[in-house]
Amino acid sequence: MRAGKALRGVAVALTGALALTACGGGGEAADSGPAKLRMTVWSANEAHLKLFNEIADEYRKSHPDVAEIKFDPLPFDTYTTTLTTQIAGGNAPDLAWVFENSAPDFVASGALLPLDDTLKKAEGYQYEDISPATLKLWQNDGKLYAYPFSTSPFGVFVNTDMLKKAGQKTPAELIAAGQWTWDNALTTAAATAANSGKAGLVIRDFDYKGWDNLSTFWTGWGAQAWSEDGKTCGFNSPEMVDAMTTLHKATFTQKALPGPGTTADFFAGDSAMTITQISRASLLKDGGFGWDLVPLPAGPKGDYAVVGQAGLGVLKKSPHAKQAADFLAFFTNPTNSAKLAQFFPAPRQSQLTAETLAKTNPKLKPEQLQKVVIDGITNGVVKPNHSGQAELSQQVRAGLDPLWQPNADVKVVLDGVCAKIQPLLAK
Amino acid sequence: MNRDLSRRTKLVLYGVLLVLAIPFVFPTWWMVTSSLKPVSDIFAFPPKLLPTNPQIDAYQRVFELQPFGQQYLNSLYIALVVTVGTMAVAALAGYAFARIRFRGQNVLFLVVLAGLLIPSEVTIVPLFQMFFKLGLVNTHWPLILVPIFGAPSVLATFIMRQFFISLPDELEEAARVDGLGRFATFWRIALPLSRPALGAVAIFTFLHSWNLYLEPIVFLSSPEKFTLPQALTQFVDAYGGPMWDVQMAAASMTALPVLVVFVIAQKQFVEGLAHTGLKG
Amino acid sequence: MTQTDTRVGSASAGPAPGPARPFWTSRRRDQLTGFVFIAPQLLGSVVFVILPLILVFWYSLHEWNVLAGTFDFVGTENYQGLADDPNLGAVLRATGLFSIGLVVFNLGLALLLAVLLNQRLRGTIVFRTLFFSPVVVSLVAWTIVWGFLLQDNGGINGLLDTIGVDGPNWLRGEGTAMVSVIVVQVFKNVGLNMVLFLAALQGVPADLYEAAEVDGASRMRQFWRITVPLISPTILLTSIITVVGSLQVFAQIAVLTQGGPGTSTTVLVYYLYQQAFQFHHFGYGATLSILLFVIVLALTVLQWQMRKRWVFHES
Repeated sequence: MRAGKALRGVAVALTGALALTACGGGGEAADSGPAKLRMTVWSANEAHLKLFNEIADEYRKSHPDVAEIKFDPLPFDTYTTTLTTQIAGGNAPDLAWVFENSAPDFVASGALLPLDDTLKKAEGYQYEDISPATLKLWQNDGKLYAYPFSTSPFGVFVNTDMLKKAGQKTPAELIAAGQWTWDNALTTAAATAANSGKAGLVIRDFDYKGWDNLSTFWTGWGAQAWSEDGKTCGFNSPEMVDAMTTLHKATFTQKALPGPGTTADFFAGDSAMTITQISRASLLKDGGFGWDLVPLPAGPKGDYAVVGQAGLGVLKKSPHAKQAADFLAFFTNPTNSAKLAQFFPAPRQSQLTAETLAKTNPKLKPEQLQKVVIDGITNGVVKPNHSGQAELSQQVRAGLDPLWQPNADVKVVLDGVCAKIQPLLAK
Repeated sequence: MNRDLSRRTKLVLYGVLLVLAIPFVFPTWWMVTSSLKPVSDIFAFPPKLLPTNPQIDAYQRVFELQPFGQQYLNSLYIALVVTVGTMAVAALAGYAFARIRFRGQNVLFLVVLAGLLIPSEVTIVPLFQMFFKLGLVNTHWPLILVPIFGAPSVLATFIMRQFFISLPDELEEAARVDGLGRFATFWRIALPLSRPALGAVAIFTFLHSWNLYLEPIVFLSSPEKFTLPQALTQFVDAYGGPMWDVQMAAASMTALPVLVVFVIAQKQFVEGLAHTGLKG
Repeated sequence: MTQTDTRVGSASAGPAPGPARPFWTSRRRDQLTGFVFIAPQLLGSVVFVILPLILVFWYSLHEWNVLAGTFDFVGTENYQGLADDPNLGAVLRATGLFSIGLVVFNLGLALLLAVLLNQRLRGTIVFRTLFFSPVVVSLVAWTIVWGFLLQDNGGINGLLDTIGVDGPNWLRGEGTAMVSVIVVQVFKNVGLNMVLFLAALQGVPADLYEAAEVDGASRMRQFWRITVPLISPTILLTSIITVVGSLQVFAQIAVLTQGGPGTSTTVLVYYLYQQAFQFHHFGYGATLSILLFVIVLALTVLQWQMRKRWVFHES
């Protein structure tokens, strides 16, 4: 009837009008003007952003075809989800940081632009200077899909004031005596915790949820989350059972680590020690408590190092992919790498010397830099990563939850984890 | 039951009410007092009920860390626009469904009611794509248009319809005899009478918009555009650890004004709700 | 001549006699007004509700790999995947437990509070304010504060400690996490239902109670035989709203437990969020959305049908 038709007419007109206004103001349609680039990052740290913007401004001076480079911080603990949701909704950035644990997904998906040509051809880039070990995770079929702009080893920050008050030997002393082992570390932590009433050792970002940070612990036992090829579950291996039993005892019996649900921030002075990446050194306040940074303690299988990595990639779908790749080359060239190194240890071998690092890491002493950072990067095992990371990680997390009770049966829980994830690993 | 109660019963009742009130009041109390404590005191064990050294440092940091004032305004103006818009849409639609006979009205009403049954998590991805294609992502338009015209306003329409159904027919007859057209009948007779229902709609709608969490997170990416619930979750340090005192300060500032308004206007609040016609 | 005819009131509802029948009878004009009035709401529903729902259904028929940018039609494969999903059973169980627990606790508490506040006591207004206050506090703020209080070294255990009780680690135990989420949600919203019940209670004529008193009926009997039947329409409607609401609770779980420990608090809507937004199985997430919609629809229809049996009608 007429009214219905009239209404439909109105609807069509409305939508048309909306569409017209949208095209005027709206999304990234074909633009012949200067490009605007957006890079998603997970750090909202002011010092970091200041440095990035300085580098970006420098770039734009010689590249007037780029009107703006925006660094877009997304919340850290939902970073990958938010990024992927943006991509799903059609709002992908031009460049993105990628966590090492989601590297396999991004690298193999074809979502990222291969960077080899751009990087190798960039003037003065010195591609060969990049340590091959650091590139492994970001390569597929011989091509590089993301640049590992940060390879950050894990170390142990220690509140030496708190330890001395509890009458404990500091790690430096233990290292000198060749006794910096997990057994001793845990005993020290437990004693300090008992004395100070605060927490002992905190594995930062673990909080009984971020289990991949436990690799900083179990690697000392030679355990792995899964085999090198990613197809076999490593959680119920004897090494892992050993490691987890020790961890369980340390938490619930020795009280060397705080239990689930207890928050303790080392940098606020609430714990004796913490395992975290060295980039967190920026959280230390000048004039606060006395502290030291030492490598991870030795496990039953000896010394070891664990690193986390962060990659920077260009999204293939970006309308300005070529310019984005060009900017990436600039962002990571030797000069800027050196600048970024104060926060993000670069994979460039020439820059992995104690003196270079010391220039940009004033808070850390040369021995700390050598032992923790340089040796760590060269020898470190990367944190667990696998394709289909999000779902796998969630299953492991859910599977490990029963372990964090005082009366847990470690072997049974770990068997359960493997039962849950084996089908996913086989994919 | 309005018979006089014995003294003892009264005392027992007061006691029960007091005990029951604790979980309702304690969290708000904790939120405010924590915002005045330094972080280390917040987690002190055993916990202290009152701050020993009240400090407003956290409140200052709320504004330093984010454009909180702007975010407050965002939440406020969006909620107000959505409330007024919804009142208009729902009153019109509710009136029509209740009092006008037109073809297919029952079917159409069911179509509209479908909105009540669909959670926003279900429709968020297609909605995001739609708004993205229109270039309206990272604006407030999705947060205004969808609640006014979409699922959240359906409850409002339902409420208005229930109310208008309960109006006696004689009112409309009288209006028609006086020569008033349909719109005039609506505007001058029915609408003014519907004040309690409109009040309830206003309350529901304002609160719903004020508390929206998933939608701002999906649609907004610049901090100046954030709304309060979204901003609350952003008070974390560079690596994701919550800054408790700052979060509590921000949460207090979010909750307290609405609470104060409620306490003052609570008679209307509560009576408006009771008149929603949900009594059946 | 026909012009004046159509101006005249509703007396002649049918078409006027004569060679040219006027189109715009007042009846038709009235109908048009009706359509115009509902147009905003209807259009809005179509654009913002129906259309997305259709799109979601469309997605559920595809395998959508966001990163690789592939969107392949797979027909009913996702729906078959529902049957094969090892997690779905646990999710549905958690959803059922959560909803039932929430609805029972919410309605029971709301009724209890309403009855208490309906007594002749001074100062019930103060208590009414207190019980209603969480409704107006921001949901995220409320949840963050509770999350903080429920920690092992948080306020609640601290309070329990003062009376010598060692509180459990609320959010980390399988059973206690579920209880915690239910409690947080109920205390937030029970004030609304309480007010509705209060209004309904006040609508019960006093003389009914007086008559029952004369007949020697005890208070409990009066409650069950008089009060409950007379407020049954309200009970039904709040129950429908609460059940539908319980199936949509998301923010609290996201903030407090993230579906854990294990999968004990992974209710359907949270599972859907995980699948779609965390694991990026958008196609499967869409399938779960359709499942959720069907469940909500079924439960609502069921409850609405029950009104004939359970709701007391004056006639």
